[in-house]
Amino acid sequence: MTEQIKTDFEKIVKASAFSEKDVELKKMHLNKFLKTGFPTRKLENWKFSDLSQIIKKNIGELSFYNDYSFPNKIDTSIFVEGLEHNKIVFINGRVEKVDFTHEDHDKIEINDDFKFVNRSEDNNSLLSLNNAFTNKCYKITVKKNYSLKKPLVVYHSTSNKITSRNINLKLEFQLEQNSSLRLIDLFNDRAENNFINIFYNFDLKENAILKNYKIDKVQNKNIRYSYNNIEQDDNSVSETFILSSGSNFSKNEINCNLKGEYSSAFVNGIFSLNDGQHHEVRTIINHLVENTKSYQLIKSVLGKNSKSAYQGKIFVDSKAQKTDGYQLSKAILLDETSEFNAKPELEIYADDVKCSHGSASGSLDENSIFYLMSRGLNYQQSKELLINGFLLDVVEKITDTEIKNLVKNMIGLKE
Amino acid sequence: MLKINNLSANIEDKSILKDFSLNINPGEVHAIMGPNGSGKSTLSNILSGKKGYEISGEVLFENNNLFELETEERAHKGIFLAFQYPLEIPGVNTNIFLKTSLNAIRKAKGEKELDAIEFLKLVKEKARELKFDEEKLNRQLNVGFSGGEKKKNEILQMSMLSPKLSILDETDSGLDIDALKVVSDGVNTLRSKDNSFLIITHYQRLLDYIKPDFVHVLMNGKIIKSGGPELALELEKKGYENFN
Repeated sequence: MTEQIKTDFEKIVKASAFSEKDVELKKMHLNKFLKTGFPTRKLENWKFSDLSQIIKKNIGELSFYNDYSFPNKIDTSIFVEGLEHNKIVFINGRVEKVDFTHEDHDKIEINDDFKFVNRSEDNNSLLSLNNAFTNKCYKITVKKNYSLKKPLVVYHSTSNKITSRNINLKLEFQLEQNSSLRLIDLFNDRAENNFINIFYNFDLKENAILKNYKIDKVQNKNIRYSYNNIEQDDNSVSETFILSSGSNFSKNEINCNLKGEYSSAFVNGIFSLNDGQHHEVRTIINHLVENTKSYQLIKSVLGKNSKSAYQGKIFVDSKAQKTDGYQLSKAILLDETSEFNAKPELEIYADDVKCSHGSASGSLDENSIFYLMSRGLNYQQSKELLINGFLLDVVEKITDTEIKNLVKNMIGLKE
Repeated sequence: MLKINNLSANIEDKSILKDFSLNINPGEVHAIMGPNGSGKSTLSNILSGKKGYEISGEVLFENNNLFELETEERAHKGIFLAFQYPLEIPGVNTNIFLKTSLNAIRKAKGEKELDAIEFLKLVKEKARELKFDEEKLNRQLNVGFSGGEKKKNEILQMSMLSPKLSILDETDSGLDIDALKVVSDGVNTLRSKDNSFLIITHYQRLLDYIKPDFVHVLMNGKIIKSGGPELALELEKKGYENFN
């Protein structure tokens, strides 16, 4: 890999208009990545999956060169219908469209030459890889007291014109005081066998509200890693919902720093997996000051040979009295070959806190199926009804009604 | 309508029903009384198709071999079991469940499926008859329902589906007098020359409200005595232990 990555890097630098300084910085990140390489099981954060092996097995050798000088054609059929929205369209890692039609343009600032600063997890080699190869990083700032009228949908798509086997994306969001943003990430891949590496950074000022819905629903043979870093000031709220279902392998990491009083973070997720899929969510919620709150609910429905893992960490600083932290994970194993792993980690240094965690897994309840079948439903209908019922309360946690209905339709949940 | 011939059932080498035979004709109401562990619930489970029993013998329902039918096919043909312990199904809305169930059965019978409006009209009417709190229809199925409400919900389902053979497995247990009356009214409304009932109970009390045509005493997996309603009274007086 080392030779390939170096050659590709040089090729990219040659074709690009990066400043010398930028190139130096990128080089530094590349070297940092090369030193550690892809994460392996030896790392506690990657206990349940060896990314290095997974890439080798599913993709083989990665290649990194993409030609970003020509635009890709946007396939408008991927656009969500029946929901007015703003758009950012990524195709093969290139931003093809930034469209805030529905918004007051004075209230949103878009900077396409942002130098992403990494504030946490400096030892994350995937972030180094991302920094070395990201083409452009956009920074979106939502100005004080402005709430976006319509949601922003970020389309993550790939086409078969892709030349590399690795895509790196980055977005930076700043939500100023009293502002709010509803952000939907929609994954839609045509290309197969790529490693897709996504980094988001969110900076939430006082009273800001972020709602991020990540929808990976379309079946695809890609390996996806996504990292959200969320910084939260006083009274800010972040809500993250993850529908993890389409990719071959997917890992979502949420790192949330509750550094303002009365700030709160919600992470809810659904894994719906089958045939050899392996998905993970890892969260790190850092309660750093008094009176902060976090809530997490993760549910899995696991078919044949599929596997999900949930690593949830709640860290409570010694200053963070009156912390309220909660996490629960539940899984239905539909087959004896399916596997669910939960690893709750509570690290608490304050004494006046309320923190709890729980985890449960099992197969579908045969008695419930018998009950439903005795009312004329066939086995398949009964099973679906039970699974929908199991997942419904996670979807109900979505506080935005419009998006809740969208998600319900997407996964075929009836009210 | 229902012919049970020499039915024996084992579960994990334990014999529960032994050469059990019973004949139920259209329009008849049969009561089976018996102490705990006599095989009452096993009988109702087997009739509605629960798996896990080793079975021999024959059960015919309108000349269909019952053992060749899946649980849902039995429901389609008109067998209904009111559960002793109705299950709580989290996340499943009661109305949606009822509509899915009703339409599955209507479809199997070749009848037109009901649309949302027709369905709501019917379910509201039935709920009112049974004094079943309509607001509960929008709740998750049986979740947070009291014991009495769960039983009423069973009878509501029964009256919605209007089955040919209704099996009531200890529907009276956990009911107060008022609820018992409402539930019995629900059953009596459905009584006709075509519909039959098999009522399983410990106590004679329910039979004051639903007059059976026949009473059978089940002990150790066998019917030891059959008779008319007076048998229930006799049983109540003597108790199971001294009955023989």
